[in-house]
Amino acid sequence: MNTKNIVYYGIFLFSLIILPFFLNSDWVSVMTTFIIYSIVSLSQDIVLGRAGMFDMGHAIFFGLGAYSTAILNMVYGWPILATIPIAIILPIVASIILAAPIIHLRGDYLLVTTIGFNIVFTQALKNNVFGITGGPNGIFGVEPLKILGFVFSSQLSIYYLAFFILLLTLIVIHNLETSKPGRALHYLNLDSLASECIGINTRFYRLYSFALSAALAGLAGVVFTLQFSAVSPGAFNFIQSVLFFTIVLVGGPSSIPGVLLGTFFMFVVPEIFRQFAEARYLVFGVAMILIMIWRPKGIWPVKFGRIPNYLTKE
Amino acid sequence: MEIFFQQLVNGLTIGSIYALVALGYTMVYGVLKLINFAHGDLVALSAYIGLVTVMQLMGALSPVLLIIATFIITMILTSLGGLILERAAYRPLRKAPRLSAVVSALGASMIIENGIMLIWGPMPRIFPASAVPNANYNIHGVYISLMQVLVLVISFILMVALYLFVNRTKLGTAMRACAIDQDAARLMGIDVNKVIVTTFIIGSALGAVGGLFIGMYYRGIYFNMGWIYGLNAFVAAIIGGIGNIPGAMLGGMLLGIFNAFIAGYVSSSWSLALTYVLLIVIMILRPTGILGERVAEKV
Repeated sequence: MNTKNIVYYGIFLFSLIILPFFLNSDWVSVMTTFIIYSIVSLSQDIVLGRAGMFDMGHAIFFGLGAYSTAILNMVYGWPILATIPIAIILPIVASIILAAPIIHLRGDYLLVTTIGFNIVFTQALKNNVFGITGGPNGIFGVEPLKILGFVFSSQLSIYYLAFFILLLTLIVIHNLETSKPGRALHYLNLDSLASECIGINTRFYRLYSFALSAALAGLAGVVFTLQFSAVSPGAFNFIQSVLFFTIVLVGGPSSIPGVLLGTFFMFVVPEIFRQFAEARYLVFGVAMILIMIWRPKGIWPVKFGRIPNYLTKE
Repeated sequence: MEIFFQQLVNGLTIGSIYALVALGYTMVYGVLKLINFAHGDLVALSAYIGLVTVMQLMGALSPVLLIIATFIITMILTSLGGLILERAAYRPLRKAPRLSAVVSALGASMIIENGIMLIWGPMPRIFPASAVPNANYNIHGVYISLMQVLVLVISFILMVALYLFVNRTKLGTAMRACAIDQDAARLMGIDVNKVIVTTFIIGSALGAVGGLFIGMYYRGIYFNMGWIYGLNAFVAAIIGGIGNIPGAMLGGMLLGIFNAFIAGYVSSSWSLALTYVLLIVIMILRPTGILGERVAEKV
């Protein structure tokens, strides 16, 4: 990370810290959700942008995290703090079990299978599987998080909790970028056969990327449950996965500022135009097409190293 | 045994509708290698166009003429929609990364879906019952309605016609050539743009028939129904082997029969989930679908 980037990230994070003091509580809540969705989109980006696998079922892991916190708290009476490790481990295990048999599928087939997983997941939640998911209405009345006597019940405290987790996610992704697994993912994204030839265990790293992104999405799910103190199947259905998928591609795959910008564009901008209620999604579809025509690699595409322009031009 | 045959008839009816819609997905995928996510919404749009046409023409024409006119008008207008879709959302992205086109398709789907909602409102609309006379035939205890006969016969005719078109005509051969290798097809003097446009016209027209059948058979239509019917049809295309035209027909039929038996024998609240379990199992056991060919990785 060079000095310019440090300054940019510093400005971005600082403005997120001071932002709640200029906004009313409705907008703080919108911004909290924005941060949660950013975390999920950044984790989706690990699979989609960095490892290059078309995963259109990412809401499963987000939902597993959210539901495991809600169920453990409401049905089994665990304190929220104790549910957090489970809300991270369960999505990891699920992602490995689900991804292992399909990891070798080619692009579009993987996309369809993950859509399938997501629909089965939402249907299971709606049909109140094992009698603990609360059916189509979900679960509400989840307790707030308590750490050492401090209760995270106000909107502001949850905002900063979400902010802290976003910071954690950014650190994890930055470490990934500059470490061996990150480079391995980059190679296998560019050419999976060639990367296998230079000794990268592609199967292992593909699963690794799924597990890592599931862990981050699960953690985001915990914050989601805390913010709304409720979970329902609608928040984790296939349409949400499409949203995360689109955020990454509109923003710019494997580019952190791109994904953040994409989340802003796909999530906060529709909130700003709320008074145009119904027409806004129509305009939105037009905007998605236009962005893809003018910037096929996303609003803020990623740049790798100092490769001369004439080499990267196709 | 009667339940079995009853569900088989119902399954074949739903399956024909799925097959008609699935053909649109599979043909576009064959030529462009693009999942046309907007196809389902085009099908929903066609149901609404059909509804408006039936309302306008009802009483002015005799029942047989009414149905024929509705089908022709809806097919023409939906093809026009498919044409605009291809020109505005897909053609500018033909050289872009594959996923950009997917996002563009999702954007187009959002436009159509919300466009329908803005024009006809968010409430479900009901197709007039008298559009198709409500006649039932009893064959050894199995009931089959006139609508079901109509669906089965028209779908069968359209599929045979499509099969003959793709395999016996010059344009159909060009279409198959483009599906195998677009650049080579261009070198052989095939007008690739014309082939792609034709694919979209035929796919949308078949989808329009599917949408009309959905409207007339289930009666209730709603603005976001494109998603669920589109996804089911898409699953049918995948099960049969995407890009493969007989595969889409087979996949549609199999999926329809599977759905009907699940609804008849197991439970309807799990039927959607079990459909996708079937999809996942097929993807694990036979990743290219039932009739899809295995493509060797070229080094």
